[in-house]
Amino acid sequence: MSDPLPQDELAGLYVLGLLDTAQRAAVERNLEHDAGLRARVIYWEERLLPLTKMVEPEPLPPTLWARIESSLWPAPRSATARTPASLAERLWDSLALWRTLAATGFAAAMLLAVVGLPGAQKTAEPKFMVVLVAPEDKAPGWVVQASTTQSLKLIPLGVTEIPQAKALQFWTKGKDWKGPVSLGLVQPGRPLDVQLKELPPLEHNQLFEITLEPEYGSPIGKPTGPILYIGRAVKVM
Amino acid sequence: MTGTPDEFDYDAALRACAAGERAALHRIYQLEGARLLAVALRIVRRRDVAEDVVHDAFVRIWEKAAGFDPTRGSGRGWIYSIVRHGALNHIRDHAREMPADETLIERVEQAGEASVPDPYEQVLLASESGQLYDCLGRLDAPKRSSILLAYLEGCTHSEIAERLATPLGTVKAWIRRGLQSLKECMA
Repeated sequence: MSDPLPQDELAGLYVLGLLDTAQRAAVERNLEHDAGLRARVIYWEERLLPLTKMVEPEPLPPTLWARIESSLWPAPRSATARTPASLAERLWDSLALWRTLAATGFAAAMLLAVVGLPGAQKTAEPKFMVVLVAPEDKAPGWVVQASTTQSLKLIPLGVTEIPQAKALQFWTKGKDWKGPVSLGLVQPGRPLDVQLKELPPLEHNQLFEITLEPEYGSPIGKPTGPILYIGRAVKVM
Repeated sequence: MTGTPDEFDYDAALRACAAGERAALHRIYQLEGARLLAVALRIVRRRDVAEDVVHDAFVRIWEKAAGFDPTRGSGRGWIYSIVRHGALNHIRDHAREMPADETLIERVEQAGEASVPDPYEQVLLASESGQLYDCLGRLDAPKRSSILLAYLEGCTHSEIAERLATPLGTVKAWIRRGLQSLKECMA
Protein backbone atom coordinates (compact mmCIF):
# COMPACT_ATOMS: atom_id res chain seq x y z
CA MET A 1 0.00 0.00 0.00
CA SER A 2 1.49 3.28 -1.05
CA ASP A 3 -1.07 6.03 -0.60
CA PRO A 4 -3.92 5.77 1.83
CA LEU A 5 -7.14 4.91 0.05
CA PRO A 6 -9.90 7.49 -0.23
CA GLN A 7 -12.44 6.80 2.48
CA ASP A 8 -15.22 5.86 0.11
CA GLU A 9 -13.05 3.35 -1.69
CA LEU A 10 -11.84 1.92 1.59
CA ALA A 11 -15.46 1.49 2.71
CA GLY A 12 -16.45 -0.14 -0.58
CA LEU A 13 -13.53 -2.57 -0.45
CA TYR A 14 -14.33 -3.35 3.18
CA VAL A 15 -17.91 -4.24 2.31
CA LEU A 16 -16.74 -6.37 -0.62
CA GLY A 17 -14.36 -8.17 1.73
CA LEU A 18 -11.30 -7.11 -0.27
CA LEU A 19 -9.16 -5.46 2.38
CA ASP A 20 -6.16 -7.28 3.77
CA THR A 21 -6.13 -8.28 7.42
CA ALA A 22 -4.45 -5.14 8.70
CA GLN A 23 -6.65 -2.78 6.68
CA ARG A 24 -9.75 -4.65 7.71
CA ALA A 25 -8.82 -4.50 11.39
CA ALA A 26 -8.13 -0.78 11.05
CA VAL A 27 -11.52 -0.14 9.45
CA GLU A 28 -13.26 -2.12 12.17
CA ARG A 29 -11.45 -0.14 14.85
CA ASN A 30 -12.20 3.18 13.22
CA LEU A 31 -15.86 2.41 12.59
CA GLU A 32 -16.50 2.88 16.29
CA HIS A 33 -15.57 6.53 16.34
CA ASP A 34 -15.40 7.71 12.74
CA ALA A 35 -18.93 8.68 11.72
CA GLY A 36 -17.83 9.57 8.19
CA LEU A 37 -16.33 6.17 7.56
CA ARG A 38 -19.32 4.50 9.15
CA ALA A 39 -21.66 6.36 6.82
CA ARG A 40 -19.64 5.22 3.79
CA VAL A 41 -19.63 1.60 4.97
CA ILE A 42 -23.39 1.68 5.53
CA TYR A 43 -23.83 3.29 2.12
CA TRP A 44 -22.13 0.32 0.47
CA GLU A 45 -23.75 -2.28 2.71
CA GLU A 46 -27.17 -0.91 1.76
CA ARG A 47 -26.47 -0.42 -1.93
CA LEU A 48 -25.00 -3.87 -2.45
CA LEU A 49 -27.54 -5.70 -0.28
CA PRO A 50 -29.86 -6.51 -3.23
CA LEU A 51 -27.07 -8.75 -4.56
CA THR A 52 -27.99 -11.28 -1.90
CA LYS A 53 -31.13 -11.94 -3.97
CA MET A 54 -28.91 -13.67 -6.49
CA VAL A 55 -28.28 -16.43 -3.96
CA GLU A 56 -30.93 -19.14 -3.79
CA PRO A 57 -31.96 -19.82 -0.18
CA GLU A 58 -30.65 -23.05 1.34
CA PRO A 59 -32.96 -25.28 3.36
CA LEU A 60 -32.34 -24.74 7.04
CA PRO A 61 -31.37 -27.81 9.02
CA PRO A 62 -34.01 -28.39 11.69
CA THR A 63 -31.38 -28.39 14.44
CA LEU A 64 -29.97 -24.96 13.74
CA TRP A 65 -32.62 -22.87 15.44
CA ALA A 66 -32.51 -25.19 18.47
CA ARG A 67 -28.75 -24.64 18.62
CA ILE A 68 -29.16 -20.86 18.50
CA GLU A 69 -31.83 -21.01 21.18
CA SER A 70 -29.80 -23.12 23.53
CA SER A 71 -26.75 -20.89 23.07
CA LEU A 72 -28.81 -17.85 23.99
CA TRP A 73 -31.18 -19.30 26.52
CA PRO A 74 -29.83 -22.46 28.13
CA ALA A 75 -32.70 -24.49 29.53
CA PRO A 76 -33.07 -24.04 33.27
CA ARG A 77 -32.05 -27.14 35.15
CA SER A 78 -34.76 -28.99 36.98
CA ALA A 79 -35.11 -27.90 40.55
CA THR A 80 -33.33 -30.41 42.72
CA ALA A 81 -31.81 -30.08 46.13
CA ARG A 82 -29.03 -27.52 45.97
CA THR A 83 -25.59 -28.60 46.89
CA PRO A 84 -22.50 -26.51 46.45
CA ALA A 85 -21.68 -26.60 42.76
CA SER A 86 -19.05 -29.13 41.96
CA LEU A 87 -16.55 -28.62 39.21
CA ALA A 88 -18.62 -30.92 37.05
CA GLU A 89 -21.78 -28.94 37.69
CA ARG A 90 -20.12 -25.65 37.01
CA LEU A 91 -18.80 -27.03 33.76
CA TRP A 92 -22.24 -28.24 32.93
CA ASP A 93 -23.71 -24.83 33.49
CA SER A 94 -21.19 -22.88 31.55
CA LEU A 95 -20.38 -25.10 28.66
CA ALA A 96 -22.37 -23.88 25.73
CA LEU A 97 -20.52 -26.22 23.47
CA TRP A 98 -21.45 -29.32 25.38
CA ARG A 99 -24.96 -29.04 24.16
CA THR A 100 -23.75 -30.02 20.78
CA LEU A 101 -21.91 -33.08 21.95
CA ALA A 102 -23.37 -36.41 21.11
CA ALA A 103 -24.45 -38.63 23.98
CA THR A 104 -21.11 -40.40 24.00
CA GLY A 105 -19.41 -37.05 24.09
CA PHE A 106 -21.37 -36.05 27.12
CA ALA A 107 -20.54 -39.25 28.88
CA ALA A 108 -16.86 -38.98 28.14
CA ALA A 109 -16.67 -35.35 29.04
CA MET A 110 -18.58 -35.72 32.27
CA LEU A 111 -16.43 -38.63 33.24
CA LEU A 112 -13.39 -36.50 32.63
CA ALA A 113 -14.71 -33.66 34.67
CA VAL A 114 -15.53 -35.90 37.59
CA VAL A 115 -12.75 -38.44 37.57
CA GLY A 116 -9.95 -36.41 36.10
CA LEU A 117 -7.66 -37.38 33.34
CA PRO A 118 -4.77 -39.72 33.19
CA GLY A 119 -1.77 -37.46 32.88
CA ALA A 120 -3.67 -34.39 34.01
CA GLN A 121 -2.46 -32.39 36.96
CA LYS A 122 -4.35 -33.48 40.02
CA THR A 123 -3.04 -30.83 42.32
CA ALA A 124 -4.41 -27.69 40.76
CA GLU A 125 -7.97 -27.46 39.60
CA PRO A 126 -8.02 -26.29 36.02
CA LYS A 127 -8.85 -22.67 35.37
CA PHE A 128 -9.96 -23.39 31.84
CA MET A 129 -11.09 -26.48 30.04
CA VAL A 130 -11.67 -27.12 26.39
CA VAL A 131 -13.19 -30.20 24.86
CA LEU A 132 -12.02 -30.47 21.27
CA VAL A 133 -14.61 -32.27 19.18
CA ALA A 134 -14.72 -33.37 15.55
CA PRO A 135 -16.75 -30.81 13.58
CA GLU A 136 -18.77 -33.44 11.74
CA ASP A 137 -19.98 -35.83 14.44
CA LYS A 138 -18.99 -33.86 17.57
CA ALA A 139 -17.02 -36.82 18.87
CA PRO A 140 -14.54 -35.54 21.46
CA GLY A 141 -10.92 -36.23 20.56
CA TRP A 142 -8.80 -34.09 22.87
CA VAL A 143 -9.15 -32.10 26.04
CA VAL A 144 -7.22 -28.98 26.97
CA GLN A 145 -6.67 -28.22 30.64
CA ALA A 146 -5.11 -25.00 31.83
CA SER A 147 -4.25 -24.47 35.47
CA THR A 148 -2.81 -21.03 34.82
CA THR A 149 -3.63 -18.53 32.11
CA GLN A 150 -0.15 -18.92 30.61
CA SER A 151 0.21 -22.66 30.23
CA LEU A 152 -1.92 -25.52 29.15
CA LYS A 153 -1.88 -29.22 28.59
CA LEU A 154 -3.39 -30.92 25.57
CA ILE A 155 -4.54 -34.43 26.42
CA PRO A 156 -5.58 -37.04 23.86
CA LEU A 157 -8.72 -39.08 24.39
CA GLY A 158 -7.69 -41.56 21.73
CA VAL A 159 -5.28 -41.94 18.86
CA THR A 160 -6.04 -39.77 15.85
CA GLU A 161 -5.18 -41.55 12.61
CA ILE A 162 -3.36 -39.34 10.18
CA PRO A 163 -2.24 -39.92 6.59
CA GLN A 164 1.44 -40.32 5.62
CA ALA A 165 3.44 -37.12 5.42
CA LYS A 166 0.82 -35.19 7.32
CA ALA A 167 0.88 -33.75 10.81
CA LEU A 168 -1.54 -32.46 13.40
CA GLN A 169 -1.14 -28.80 14.24
CA PHE A 170 -2.61 -27.14 17.30
CA TRP A 171 -3.95 -23.56 17.04
CA THR A 172 -5.65 -20.99 19.18
CA LYS A 173 -7.41 -17.72 18.52
CA GLY A 174 -8.65 -15.19 21.06
CA LYS A 175 -11.62 -12.96 20.48
CA ASP A 176 -9.89 -9.97 18.96
CA TRP A 177 -6.93 -11.67 17.38
CA LYS A 178 -6.36 -11.29 13.68
CA GLY A 179 -6.03 -14.99 13.09
CA PRO A 180 -5.18 -18.28 14.72
CA VAL A 181 -1.72 -18.69 16.24
CA SER A 182 0.09 -22.01 16.07
CA LEU A 183 0.78 -23.76 19.36
CA GLY A 184 2.89 -26.36 17.62
CA LEU A 185 2.67 -29.79 16.09
CA VAL A 186 0.96 -32.57 18.00
CA GLN A 187 1.79 -36.26 18.04
CA PRO A 188 -1.31 -38.43 17.70
CA GLY A 189 -2.20 -39.98 21.05
CA ARG A 190 0.47 -38.03 22.96
CA PRO A 191 -0.12 -35.24 25.48
CA LEU A 192 1.51 -31.88 24.86
CA ASP A 193 2.48 -29.16 27.34
CA VAL A 194 2.29 -25.67 25.93
CA GLN A 195 3.62 -22.45 27.44
CA LEU A 196 1.79 -19.37 26.19
CA LYS A 197 4.69 -17.01 26.90
CA GLU A 198 4.26 -14.73 23.95
CA LEU A 199 0.49 -14.82 23.89
CA PRO A 200 -2.14 -12.92 25.84
CA PRO A 201 -3.52 -14.80 28.85
CA LEU A 202 -6.16 -17.39 28.17
CA GLU A 203 -9.66 -16.04 28.04
CA HIS A 204 -13.14 -17.46 28.21
CA ASN A 205 -14.42 -18.65 24.84
CA GLN A 206 -10.95 -18.63 23.28
CA LEU A 207 -10.95 -20.89 20.23
CA PHE A 208 -8.75 -23.98 19.99
CA GLU A 209 -8.46 -26.27 17.03
CA ILE A 210 -6.37 -29.04 15.56
CA THR A 211 -5.95 -29.10 11.80
CA LEU A 212 -4.36 -31.55 9.40
CA GLU A 213 -1.27 -29.96 7.90
CA PRO A 214 1.80 -30.89 5.87
CA GLU A 215 4.40 -32.99 7.66
CA TYR A 216 6.35 -30.01 9.02
CA GLY A 217 3.35 -27.86 9.76
CA SER A 218 1.51 -25.19 7.82
CA PRO A 219 3.93 -23.33 5.54
CA ILE A 220 2.02 -20.07 5.82
CA GLY A 221 1.57 -19.76 9.56
CA LYS A 222 -2.19 -20.20 9.47
CA PRO A 223 -4.33 -23.30 9.07
CA THR A 224 -4.44 -24.68 5.53
CA GLY A 225 -5.94 -28.11 6.12
CA PRO A 226 -9.28 -29.33 7.40
CA ILE A 227 -10.25 -28.82 11.03
CA LEU A 228 -10.15 -32.19 12.78
CA TYR A 229 -11.05 -30.99 16.27
CA ILE A 230 -12.39 -27.72 17.55
CA GLY A 231 -13.64 -26.27 20.82
CA ARG A 232 -13.78 -23.16 22.97
CA ALA A 233 -12.28 -22.50 26.35
CA VAL A 234 -14.59 -22.45 29.29
CA LYS A 235 -13.56 -20.82 32.54
CA VAL A 236 -14.13 -23.14 35.42
CA MET A 237 -12.89 -21.21 38.40
CA MET B 1 -38.13 -15.92 -5.44
CA THR B 2 -39.00 -16.51 -1.84
CA GLY B 3 -38.91 -12.78 -1.39
CA THR B 4 -38.79 -11.19 1.97
CA PRO B 5 -42.20 -9.85 2.84
CA ASP B 6 -41.55 -6.21 2.20
CA GLU B 7 -43.93 -5.22 4.92
CA PHE B 8 -41.86 -6.91 7.61
CA ASP B 9 -40.35 -4.27 9.84
CA TYR B 10 -36.80 -5.38 10.57
CA ASP B 11 -36.03 -2.33 12.65
CA ALA B 12 -39.02 -3.04 14.87
CA ALA B 13 -38.03 -6.69 15.13
CA LEU B 14 -34.56 -5.67 16.28
CA ARG B 15 -36.05 -3.30 18.84
CA ALA B 16 -38.15 -6.19 20.09
CA CYS B 17 -35.01 -8.35 20.33
CA ALA B 18 -33.37 -5.61 22.35
CA ALA B 19 -36.42 -5.67 24.64
CA GLY B 20 -35.94 -9.40 25.16
CA GLU B 21 -38.68 -10.73 22.89
CA ARG B 22 -37.40 -14.07 21.72
CA ALA B 23 -40.18 -14.48 19.19
CA ALA B 24 -38.83 -11.50 17.27
CA LEU B 25 -35.47 -13.18 16.74
CA HIS B 26 -37.22 -16.35 15.65
CA ARG B 27 -39.27 -14.40 13.14
CA ILE B 28 -36.12 -12.93 11.63
CA TYR B 29 -34.67 -16.43 11.47
CA GLN B 30 -37.77 -17.77 9.75
CA LEU B 31 -37.79 -14.98 7.20
CA GLU B 32 -34.10 -14.67 6.46
CA GLY B 33 -32.36 -17.75 7.85
CA ALA B 34 -32.45 -19.75 4.63
CA ARG B 35 -30.99 -16.95 2.55
CA LEU B 36 -28.46 -16.02 5.21
CA LEU B 37 -27.31 -19.63 5.28
CA ALA B 38 -26.99 -19.57 1.49
CA VAL B 39 -25.03 -16.31 1.55
CA ALA B 40 -22.65 -17.76 4.15
CA LEU B 41 -22.35 -21.05 2.27
CA ARG B 42 -21.37 -19.31 -0.97
CA ILE B 43 -18.51 -17.69 0.89
CA VAL B 44 -17.25 -20.44 3.20
CA ARG B 45 -18.20 -23.34 0.89
CA ARG B 46 -18.73 -25.78 3.73
CA ARG B 47 -22.15 -26.51 5.09
CA ASP B 48 -21.08 -27.13 8.70
CA VAL B 49 -19.07 -23.92 8.74
CA ALA B 50 -21.92 -21.97 7.12
CA GLU B 51 -24.25 -23.22 9.83
CA ASP B 52 -21.77 -22.11 12.49
CA VAL B 53 -21.58 -18.68 10.87
CA VAL B 54 -25.37 -18.33 10.95
CA HIS B 55 -25.50 -19.61 14.52
CA ASP B 56 -22.89 -17.12 15.68
CA ALA B 57 -24.58 -14.33 13.72
CA PHE B 58 -27.94 -14.90 15.38
CA VAL B 59 -26.32 -14.99 18.81
CA ARG B 60 -24.65 -11.72 17.93
CA ILE B 61 -27.82 -10.16 16.52
CA TRP B 62 -29.58 -10.90 19.80
CA GLU B 63 -26.75 -9.65 21.93
CA LYS B 64 -26.11 -6.52 19.87
CA ALA B 65 -29.70 -5.65 19.00
CA ALA B 66 -29.78 -2.88 21.58
CA GLY B 67 -26.81 -1.26 19.87
CA PHE B 68 -28.47 -1.27 16.46
CA ASP B 69 -29.12 2.30 15.38
CA PRO B 70 -31.78 2.64 12.65
CA THR B 71 -30.55 6.09 11.73
CA ARG B 72 -27.34 4.49 10.51
CA GLY B 73 -28.84 1.98 8.11
CA SER B 74 -31.54 -0.63 7.67
CA GLY B 75 -32.08 -3.47 10.07
CA ARG B 76 -31.98 -5.95 7.23
CA GLY B 77 -28.68 -4.58 5.96
CA TRP B 78 -27.26 -4.80 9.47
CA ILE B 79 -28.28 -8.45 9.77
CA TYR B 80 -26.72 -9.38 6.43
CA SER B 81 -23.53 -7.51 7.21
CA ILE B 82 -23.12 -9.55 10.41
CA VAL B 83 -23.45 -12.80 8.51
CA ARG B 84 -21.25 -11.74 5.59
CA HIS B 85 -18.47 -10.46 7.82
CA GLY B 86 -18.72 -13.59 9.97
CA ALA B 87 -18.23 -15.70 6.85
CA LEU B 88 -15.46 -13.48 5.49
CA ASN B 89 -13.62 -13.56 8.80
CA HIS B 90 -13.76 -17.32 8.76
CA ILE B 91 -12.26 -17.71 5.29
CA ARG B 92 -9.58 -15.12 5.92
CA ASP B 93 -8.54 -17.08 9.03
CA HIS B 94 -8.74 -20.48 7.36
CA ALA B 95 -7.44 -20.85 3.85
CA ARG B 96 -10.21 -22.33 1.77
CA GLU B 97 -9.60 -25.76 0.34
CA MET B 98 -12.83 -26.46 -1.41
CA PRO B 99 -12.89 -25.97 -5.14
CA ALA B 100 -14.72 -22.99 -6.45
CA ASP B 101 -18.31 -23.31 -7.50
CA GLU B 102 -18.21 -25.71 -10.45
CA THR B 103 -21.03 -24.15 -12.35
CA LEU B 104 -19.31 -20.83 -12.11
CA ILE B 105 -16.08 -22.26 -13.46
CA GLU B 106 -17.99 -23.81 -16.34
CA ARG B 107 -19.58 -20.51 -17.07
CA VAL B 108 -16.16 -18.90 -17.03
CA GLU B 109 -14.81 -21.53 -19.37
CA GLN B 110 -17.76 -21.33 -21.70
CA ALA B 111 -17.24 -17.65 -22.07
CA GLY B 112 -14.58 -18.79 -24.54
CA GLU B 113 -13.83 -16.25 -27.21
CA ALA B 114 -14.43 -13.17 -25.11
CA SER B 115 -11.14 -11.86 -23.85
CA VAL B 116 -12.37 -11.93 -20.26
CA PRO B 117 -14.96 -14.41 -19.06
CA ASP B 118 -18.26 -13.11 -17.78
CA PRO B 119 -19.46 -15.68 -15.30
CA TYR B 120 -22.48 -13.73 -14.20
CA GLU B 121 -23.95 -12.69 -17.50
CA GLN B 122 -26.74 -15.25 -17.57
CA VAL B 123 -27.48 -14.78 -13.92
CA LEU B 124 -27.87 -11.07 -14.38
CA LEU B 125 -30.04 -11.40 -17.45
CA ALA B 126 -32.53 -13.45 -15.48
CA SER B 127 -32.32 -11.52 -12.30
CA GLU B 128 -33.95 -8.84 -10.33
CA SER B 129 -34.98 -5.40 -11.32
CA GLY B 130 -33.90 -2.42 -9.34
CA GLN B 131 -31.39 0.37 -9.47
CA LEU B 132 -28.40 -1.70 -8.45
CA TYR B 133 -29.09 -4.22 -11.20
CA ASP B 134 -29.61 -1.51 -13.79
CA CYS B 135 -26.32 0.01 -12.80
CA LEU B 136 -24.54 -3.35 -12.77
CA GLY B 137 -25.92 -3.98 -16.23
CA ARG B 138 -24.23 -0.81 -17.40
CA LEU B 139 -20.85 -1.82 -16.09
CA ASP B 140 -18.65 -3.70 -18.49
CA ALA B 141 -18.46 -7.41 -17.81
CA PRO B 142 -15.01 -7.58 -16.19
CA LYS B 143 -15.83 -4.93 -13.61
CA ARG B 144 -19.19 -6.46 -12.89
CA SER B 145 -17.77 -9.96 -12.51
CA SER B 146 -14.99 -8.77 -10.24
CA ILE B 147 -17.42 -7.04 -7.90
CA LEU B 148 -19.79 -10.01 -7.85
CA LEU B 149 -17.01 -12.53 -7.24
CA ALA B 150 -15.91 -10.50 -4.25
CA TYR B 151 -19.33 -9.83 -2.78
CA LEU B 152 -20.98 -13.17 -3.40
CA GLU B 153 -18.10 -15.65 -3.32
CA GLY B 154 -15.82 -13.88 -0.87
CA CYS B 155 -12.96 -13.99 -3.40
CA THR B 156 -9.81 -11.99 -2.72
CA HIS B 157 -8.19 -9.78 -5.37
CA SER B 158 -5.80 -12.58 -6.29
CA GLU B 159 -8.54 -15.18 -6.48
CA ILE B 160 -10.50 -12.92 -8.80
CA ALA B 161 -7.38 -12.37 -10.90
CA GLU B 162 -6.99 -16.12 -11.18
CA ARG B 163 -10.64 -16.78 -11.94
CA LEU B 164 -10.72 -14.12 -14.62
CA ALA B 165 -7.23 -14.97 -15.91
CA THR B 166 -6.19 -11.35 -15.57
CA PRO B 167 -3.26 -9.60 -13.88
CA LEU B 168 -3.81 -8.58 -10.27
CA GLY B 169 -3.25 -4.87 -10.91
CA THR B 170 -5.89 -4.88 -13.62
CA VAL B 171 -8.40 -6.53 -11.33
CA LYS B 172 -7.75 -3.98 -8.59
CA ALA B 173 -8.32 -1.18 -11.08
CA TRP B 174 -11.54 -2.81 -12.35
CA ILE B 175 -12.93 -3.01 -8.87
CA ARG B 176 -11.96 0.54 -8.01
CA ARG B 177 -13.49 1.91 -11.19
CA GLY B 178 -16.46 -0.44 -10.92
CA LEU B 179 -17.32 0.87 -7.47
CA GLN B 180 -16.86 4.41 -8.68
CA SER B 181 -19.20 3.87 -11.64
CA LEU B 182 -21.80 2.18 -9.46
CA LYS B 183 -21.73 5.07 -7.08
CA GLU B 184 -22.19 7.60 -9.87
CA CYS B 185 -24.95 5.54 -11.42
CA MET B 186 -26.83 5.08 -8.16
CA ALA B 187 -26.47 8.69 -7.06
